[in-house]
Amino acid sequence: MKFPGIVIVTIVAGIALLAPEIAVAARINELSDSTFLDRTVRFFTFRDPSLRNALMGSMLLGICCGLMGAFLVVRKLSLLGDALSHAVLPGVALGFLWNMSKDPVAIFVGATLVGLLGAATVQLLRATTRHKEDAALGFVLASFFGVGICMFTMIQNLPGGNKSGLDKFMFGQAAALGRSDVILLAIVTALALCAVMVFYKEYAITSFDAGFARSLGMPVQIFHYSLMLLLAFAIVSSLQAVGVVLVSAMLVIPAAAAFLLTDRLGKMLILSAVFGMVSGGTGAFFSFVGRNLPTGPFMVLAAAAVFAVSLFFGPRHGIFSRWWRLRSRSARISRENTLKAIYHVLEDEEFETDQVSGRELAERRRETLEEAENELNTLRRHHYVTLSSDGGSASLTPEGWQRACEIVRNHRLWELYLTNAAHIAADHVHEDAEKIEHILGEETVRMLEKRLNYARRDPHGRLIPGLEDIQFAAGRHTVPSRATGFGSATN
Amino acid sequence: MNDQTNSTPPPLEVHDLTVAYHKRPVLYGIDLTVPKGSLVGIIGPNGAGKSTFIKAIMGLLPISAGWVKVFGKPFRDACHRVGYVPQRESVDWDFPVSVMDVVLMGRYGRLRLAQRPTKQDREVARECLEKVKMLPFANRQIGNLSGGQQQRVFLARALAQESDMYLMDEPFVGVDAATEAAIITLLRELKSRGKTLLVVHHDLSNAREYFDMLILLNMRLVAFGPTSEVFTPEVLQTTYGGRLTILSDVVQTLRTQ
Amino acid sequence: MVQPWTADFSITLWVVLMGFFVTAACGLVGNYLLLRRMALVGDAISHSILPGLVLAFIIFKTAATWVAFVGALAAGMLTVLIIEFIHRQSRVKPDAAICIAFTTLFALGVVLMSMLEGTGSFHIDADCVLYGEIAFVPLEPPAVWHGHSLGPPSALRMAIVLAAVILTIAVFYKELLVTSFDPGLAKSLGMRTGIWHYGLMGALALVIVSAFESVGAILAVAMLIVPPMFAAQLSERLPLRLVLTVFHAAASALIGLHLSVWLNCSAAGAMVVAAALLFVVVWIGSQVQRMMHFRRKLPDPRTEEVRVVGAST
Repeated sequence: MKFPGIVIVTIVAGIALLAPEIAVAARINELSDSTFLDRTVRFFTFRDPSLRNALMGSMLLGICCGLMGAFLVVRKLSLLGDALSHAVLPGVALGFLWNMSKDPVAIFVGATLVGLLGAATVQLLRATTRHKEDAALGFVLASFFGVGICMFTMIQNLPGGNKSGLDKFMFGQAAALGRSDVILLAIVTALALCAVMVFYKEYAITSFDAGFARSLGMPVQIFHYSLMLLLAFAIVSSLQAVGVVLVSAMLVIPAAAAFLLTDRLGKMLILSAVFGMVSGGTGAFFSFVGRNLPTGPFMVLAAAAVFAVSLFFGPRHGIFSRWWRLRSRSARISRENTLKAIYHVLEDEEFETDQVSGRELAERRRETLEEAENELNTLRRHHYVTLSSDGGSASLTPEGWQRACEIVRNHRLWELYLTNAAHIAADHVHEDAEKIEHILGEETVRMLEKRLNYARRDPHGRLIPGLEDIQFAAGRHTVPSRATGFGSATN
Repeated sequence: MNDQTNSTPPPLEVHDLTVAYHKRPVLYGIDLTVPKGSLVGIIGPNGAGKSTFIKAIMGLLPISAGWVKVFGKPFRDACHRVGYVPQRESVDWDFPVSVMDVVLMGRYGRLRLAQRPTKQDREVARECLEKVKMLPFANRQIGNLSGGQQQRVFLARALAQESDMYLMDEPFVGVDAATEAAIITLLRELKSRGKTLLVVHHDLSNAREYFDMLILLNMRLVAFGPTSEVFTPEVLQTTYGGRLTILSDVVQTLRTQ
Repeated sequence: MVQPWTADFSITLWVVLMGFFVTAACGLVGNYLLLRRMALVGDAISHSILPGLVLAFIIFKTAATWVAFVGALAAGMLTVLIIEFIHRQSRVKPDAAICIAFTTLFALGVVLMSMLEGTGSFHIDADCVLYGEIAFVPLEPPAVWHGHSLGPPSALRMAIVLAAVILTIAVFYKELLVTSFDPGLAKSLGMRTGIWHYGLMGALALVIVSAFESVGAILAVAMLIVPPMFAAQLSERLPLRLVLTVFHAAASALIGLHLSVWLNCSAAGAMVVAAALLFVVVWIGSQVQRMMHFRRKLPDPRTEEVRVVGAST
């Protein structure tokens, strides 16, 4: 099965994702005066004030981006987040030019304005040209970013423009977060949290079905634009720590991880914020421990690790979980097929005996004796049969009878339904019934029986065990009567 | 159903065709053989799988069970004998191609890799455009056309393929009356030349007069035969009336597992 | 204005030529990306090839171009595979899958680069990754052939790539056309659409990695999208659009160079700005034309008949 392969790949990928971080941190520390352990301790005891800022800021931005990102993911706007985060670069440069210094307010205002300009440009392009969504987003992304790079390099070449300050905006440096930056982040996060909590149901419905919301009289556009504004705030305030190129990752990856773990928007928002916070913190940790390496990539890799775990091991939708369920289902189907075969063997002998030998089973199922005996053993473990003293033959327990009858009934009912109601040729229905027999629920069976007027015979003329037959059989310990196949069932 | 006087294989033979894909409706155990030279309408309610049927024949959708034979061979080997007219919105009408470019595409099946369309190909394309009365528009970009005109371009493209069997997906949707009349005349002319035509159709009101045979589809084959025989209230009721809710519910369960 | 040309002709010339080659090659490939609505996949792949380049360098211990190409191709294919994997195996939608794939790979690349930075053996640093330093191109020792100095090697390589792109488009024009326009028809005609799709991805990787070396990710991505959009504003015929793309490339390179001299900024960035400005100019032109069109009130053939959208299945 290719599954073990996938598991191995996950483990390798997980190690691969985290190993570089650890390696870098460890190696770089050989060159420094403090050891890895030292710095880890320093990290967790929060002695450094700059460290406190960095950590605080990183976790706040994780929450903020996680919240906004959740809406991006459910509205299928992930690439808008990407475009906007690249497009704000000229705004950052403008903000810097305002005072020739890294003034957080100026940068915030400049970046937000340019970001909104970018969003407006996308709309304008869509409205006035035949270009598609991806082209418009791509254009804004690339051209605004190009303008930004122009301005950055211009500033670097000016007297007074220093390279390192602006470089941090590319890949992020949480250590460069000052107190005012953290306060800004706190405000933005609080704003986002408030907005989402107060207007939760409005945001939810406009994300899910905007047309319907509009028909209810809701001002859908206002909610959309407010979300875009909050998104712009989140992006701009996170720029310093994560970097322009990778902000969209912090928006989308924690949210996607949350998306795979729950079916409810509310839970998704909470999980997304938590994952964002954890990724942010982890990124700050590795960056600090590694003596101020860029934070952005580490945050993203941490988030990606969380996503990978969610993708593979998420309880409901995880790849591994699905595989596991499939496996148990296959096992169940295999057991049921054996039960069915036992029933058929007994039916052929018109229920004269209730013992089925391994050899008969093997013949019926066209397999080896060993395989048949294994199957009987499996059934015994599940208490569907009891084995004779020499292990060569088996008889059904009440539960075994019940399940066997149910399966056979399902199969025959379904064949009858397909031939009568759906007019499918009699020779086509068998394979289909082989699949369907295992999944018909009791309610569906009641409906089928009613639809087919409680027919007693399938298209091939064999008896369809009815409800009383099964209940009766379940209570039986001895062989059913020959005439009808069952005890007191009426014809 | 199949009584050919000669031993050539029928244009289309389908056995136990079952298609299950994503969230679209499923097709269940379809069995039919289409005789040569028939003009067949495929009708059924929305979501019944009519387009799916056409696409499955051409291998555009995967088949879960059963098989399809086109002129006695699998579709891949006989694809050059089949012309396809898709639904109009399957294509990006802003694409920078002219009407002539689109019709020429119908000839690509005959050209080798990297071979350019020849003069003869262009001649054929021109004739086909003439037949659908679109020659004056040959150099216009396809977005600048009305619905009826776009449909005619598609038709011209299919004609340019010079196939023996044509599969058409709702060619009459959103076209004006004049275009509709022109299309049906063209189809009848093709039929008189011995071509086989399968047309997914959405409008019951004219199904009877347009087609000599009908396939009635609702996830499974409800009926197939000459129009006069199958276009009856009982059959229509079965096709359009009660959906097989149990069938669709169970199929849904199967798919979500 | 003329100063760059008089002061140092050959340097200026090669910068402009390199910019032209890169922009033209990206733009031509970009036309097909745009037609197939894969513009952002192009953006994604140009970010995600970074770890491929770095890993290839680590494994083969050389920064030679063919090594870079192999690494980039592998990374590009890996990106596409990851996107498909995430999309097929889970409920995550394609747009989010694209974002996750390329940002993760890019982050990986940056981290790997930081590992190497300390050792000083990898010659590309973060800035170069993003916007390169096209000014370095003319400073490379020129390639020599039969005693003639031909010019900087990366420019020559890019010229060859451009020629290859032009040749491929010319030879396989109709295959590229029909698989982009109507894949359903293409398949029903017996064509293998998958091959053309992955072929296009391969061409994309080739073009980007050749450009990346000297001009960085920005120029590459921008030039995948902006020249085709420019051409689309001016023409509704694909062959003409392809030609216009090349002209746009030349104009952007030239104007961009002068812009960068004037503003004293990155040449690659300036070329992108020039490209975008050219687009804005033609966009304004088309809007003005539209307004005049309305004034004259010509009948629009489309308004004569009703277009019905959303047929049933």
